[in-house]
Amino acid sequence: MDYLRNFFVNLARSWTAWIGGFLPDWGVNLVNYLVVGIILVLMPVIATLTLTWMERKVIGRIQNRIGPNRVGPWGIFQAFADAVKMLIKEDIVPSGADKPVFNLAPILIAGAAALLWAVVPFGRGMIGQNLNIGALYVVAVGSITTIAVIMAGWSSNNKFALLGAFRVVAQLLSYEIPMVLSIATVVLVTGTMRMGDIVERQVAPFIVVLPVAFITYLLAAAAETGRAPFDLLEADSEIVAGYFVEYSGLKFGWFYIAEYGNLFAIAAITTTLFLGGWRGPFVSVAPALGPFYFVIKSVAVIFVLMWIRGTWPRFRIDQMLAFAWKVLVPASLANLLWSAIVLQIGRQPEQLGPTIVQMILLLVGNVAILAVTGLLLGRAARRYAAQHGWAGA
Amino acid sequence: MQQAIFIILALLTLGAALMTVITRNLLRAALWLVATFFGIAAIFILLRAEFLAVAQILVYVGAISTLIIFAIMLSRGIMDPDQVRFNGQWGVVGGFAALLFVVLAVIVTRVPWPAAAGGAPVGDAPADAIARLGAAFVGPYAIPFEVASVLLVVAMIGAIIIARERE
Amino acid sequence: MTAETIATAQATAAASHPYNEVVPGAVLEATKTGLVVSPDRIVELARYLRDEQGYDYCSMVTSIDWPQYFEVVYYLYGAATPKDALVLRVRLTDKANPVMPSLTSVWRGADFQEREVYDLMGVRFEGHPNLRRILLWEGFEGHPLRKDYKEPYFEEESKPFKSRHPDGAHQWAEDRVPWKDNVSYPVGWDPDLWRSPEVQYRRIMGVDEATGNGDGLRTERILVNMGPQHPSTHGVFRMVIAVEGENVVGLEPEMGYLHRCHEKIGERNTYIMNIAFTDRLDYVSSMSNNLGYVLAVEKLMGLQVPERAEYIRVIMAELTRIISHLIAVGFLFNDLGAYFTPALYGMRERELILDLFEAAAGSRMMCNYMRFGGVMADLPAGWVERARNLVWNRLPKVMEDFENLLSGNEIFQSRTHGVGVLTAAEAINYSMSGPMLRASGVPYDVRRAEPYSIYDRFEFDVCSRPEGDVWARFRVRMDEIYQSLRILKQALDGLPEGPIMPPGKKQYQVRVPAGEAYARIEGPKGELGFFVVSDGKPNPYRYHVRAPTFINLTSLEKMTLGHKIADAVVILGAVDIVLGEVDR
Repeated sequence: MDYLRNFFVNLARSWTAWIGGFLPDWGVNLVNYLVVGIILVLMPVIATLTLTWMERKVIGRIQNRIGPNRVGPWGIFQAFADAVKMLIKEDIVPSGADKPVFNLAPILIAGAAALLWAVVPFGRGMIGQNLNIGALYVVAVGSITTIAVIMAGWSSNNKFALLGAFRVVAQLLSYEIPMVLSIATVVLVTGTMRMGDIVERQVAPFIVVLPVAFITYLLAAAAETGRAPFDLLEADSEIVAGYFVEYSGLKFGWFYIAEYGNLFAIAAITTTLFLGGWRGPFVSVAPALGPFYFVIKSVAVIFVLMWIRGTWPRFRIDQMLAFAWKVLVPASLANLLWSAIVLQIGRQPEQLGPTIVQMILLLVGNVAILAVTGLLLGRAARRYAAQHGWAGA
Repeated sequence: MQQAIFIILALLTLGAALMTVITRNLLRAALWLVATFFGIAAIFILLRAEFLAVAQILVYVGAISTLIIFAIMLSRGIMDPDQVRFNGQWGVVGGFAALLFVVLAVIVTRVPWPAAAGGAPVGDAPADAIARLGAAFVGPYAIPFEVASVLLVVAMIGAIIIARERE
Repeated sequence: MTAETIATAQATAAASHPYNEVVPGAVLEATKTGLVVSPDRIVELARYLRDEQGYDYCSMVTSIDWPQYFEVVYYLYGAATPKDALVLRVRLTDKANPVMPSLTSVWRGADFQEREVYDLMGVRFEGHPNLRRILLWEGFEGHPLRKDYKEPYFEEESKPFKSRHPDGAHQWAEDRVPWKDNVSYPVGWDPDLWRSPEVQYRRIMGVDEATGNGDGLRTERILVNMGPQHPSTHGVFRMVIAVEGENVVGLEPEMGYLHRCHEKIGERNTYIMNIAFTDRLDYVSSMSNNLGYVLAVEKLMGLQVPERAEYIRVIMAELTRIISHLIAVGFLFNDLGAYFTPALYGMRERELILDLFEAAAGSRMMCNYMRFGGVMADLPAGWVERARNLVWNRLPKVMEDFENLLSGNEIFQSRTHGVGVLTAAEAINYSMSGPMLRASGVPYDVRRAEPYSIYDRFEFDVCSRPEGDVWARFRVRMDEIYQSLRILKQALDGLPEGPIMPPGKKQYQVRVPAGEAYARIEGPKGELGFFVVSDGKPNPYRYHVRAPTFINLTSLEKMTLGHKIADAVVILGAVDIVLGEVDR
């Protein structure tokens, strides 16, 4: 029973002790690094297999349909059938494509998706590498995706792909700023960039302490990964599939894996930063519960994103950029400023995480920012409508 | 061991830098530049400067290269990107490049590098390395830091003015 | 009387026509079916009619190949203030080289229709800004609507063909006629020398036609081909778009990928065969198509339709309108990126209405339900109750859901307000019709302006919005669903008992007296007109469809210029095209 309470860590200890019996120390390290590395690299693939099924099921239900129901019970093996189909499809390289760049782009984008998992804390001590710059690492890895997408869009020798690449630059660069600002707010409040420590110091989930940062992060992250309503990069009703329109077979599969890997990764990071990560009832008694809480919270975030995809239309590029620069950036800047002020009030040396008073002050400031933003948006919309003489808008 | 990794990384970085200069295709040159930035980031990691490495990727790969590529894509003839390598100013630029190289070489050879005397850094960087880096920016290096920001503001205003004039 | 005296008598009668006092020599002859106009003076006369007489709406342009001359027919109406039809007929006696001036400078709505006449009949319009083939491709030889045109695998002039079963066994015409003898290209045509898009689309690329140089030196324009295999062009429609970055700077619609020469086949068919054939025009609303066609032929035959059949027709037509608008609204959201959810919600209600169609007509989409003088079959038992349940209980609730979920969505509002604006004057000049016209603030509805069937008995409002943008088009369609429900309630309440066909023996071969008739109805997508010329034979001499979405596309470039690519898709979605009808 005690073994089960901290099942995953104990399992790792037993495993290390077992292979330590017949391998030298460096051999144990090598094997462990390999095992962890393989698990992390496989994460995007696992995420793709489960999340495609989930997305099709969720959106199917939203749309009055059943969704996949033929392959396996409730269609859960649909994703495997799709994967097999994708593997045996012909690989087509368009004439006039820049071949090396064309082939490199899917590898780079899937690689970037896998890299993100290195700093995701699934439970206490269950983290690939508790980097001292974890939060910054997340953003930096995300920017590799930008390059990969541009490479794909440009090298395809297709005008739709090129238009997709144009959009990528404008969109991803603009949304990186509110994303970094909202992460910075969390880093400021916790006083650390280590993803593991952020969870440790998150006494109350930051979604209730810093709602502005949470909303900003979720929107910016949705935009960064091209989820609806910010899926302009691949807007199939406008530019067909955008940057990966010319890819087929396995290379298309890489983009698919990157998309769903990134989806799970941003949900995981949202969970880490704002939903208290692996924290939950009885975790202190049985740390093995942590990963379950973590996955449940992540899936909840994913469900919200799928829900949005199933119900909302898409923004236009100019509206989307205006939203980032005129709404998200000022709001998150104000939030960052307020957090810095609050943390200076009654600051104790060697303080880890915010105190109760500080949390209440933070919440008050956040609510005020939300209210002001909403008020200004509503007034701007009304003024705009009045200028153009739209009735009933 | 570390020396070997450093040599490999240095060769890769230099090779990518060389390809940046000699590639005919403008967009591929930009992509080689990205590879160069990655190499530099790897060298930072080797020096236990993770923050700098990540900042290198974030700023240079994520932002600057993207903007360079964007500028290339917005310019004419994107569908036929094989450009002439030399234009009328290549002599002047060559002169300046040589000058820059001389200046850098002089600096590298003349400056006494205190850390280099003790050999490569050993062990992990201190836990509060980032905090110390931050403190240094607002402490002893406040003026260079602010000058750099002023420079960026000037560049930004300049960009805005150029963009406005065209309309 | 000799021919000479007849001619003089006609000339004197025409000379006294009031229009000739303003535009001397314009009206050559005033016949029962319109004014015969001199091709030399028609532009002047048209301008006078538009500016002084209130004939601001050029509804239909078509042409007839008579043995002695080609006749181009313009149907004019008043849209700002409703006026009855005025028909201008231009007779071009030079059959080898028929040329007349284009009226696009007066009514922009004549643009595509004159191109169609040029394409299918071979009449050249001088002064037309873009006189290219529109439905057929450049490598097509001949003009198929001319009476001397013989298609590949030609068998006989008119159906039913005797040749299909020579020895009691079926035989394909294709097996008899080798390919090489039938397909011919225009003289000098070489498929390998197909013009490159850069040459073909010089106009929208801003390149000067004569010199080949343009003002494109400052910023680069990219030519983007949207379609024919694009998910948002609602079929095999193609928009050639010139873009600078994301901004649309030029647009040229290309169509005809689904062209099957509906009108030529219609002339080979017997009258009754064409009813089933009209189903394939706008395949979303086949009942309306049936209704328009049978009305045209009934006009020629002078048939009286029994009361019950009239009511059934109205019920079917209004149910069709609800289907069409639900789909239009749903797929408009799809174009906006709402990933099928609204479209599928619309589809769900459509299925219930199609169940009703299936119960009455035996078919869900290709209903083939109307007949000359009535309808094909009476409503089965329990049908009215099911329809009542739908109209009174189900659809109003669904509409409430649609309003709650769609109309108030902020993204939807910000994407559609002020996008693709057409002013009232522009909409009339471009011959917009249906919801497109009413969304621009012109409350023009054929059901009200020129009531057909029994629409004059029902109370309903003509929905109109002043904005003229995509939002207004969405809103008009939503409002029209409420009005359709209102009409349906009255019709279902008033549905009398009685026969559904006029008395007499049912027959497969109807006798249609010689003459010409044009019937137009308010189809879901706009003014749907059927133009039938009979020479007393079992087949129509000329059969023309005024396809509303085809003509509504005329203003596509006007609406799209200056907007983003994403808006182009939405604007096209708000036109609500169906390619079966556009390409015919």
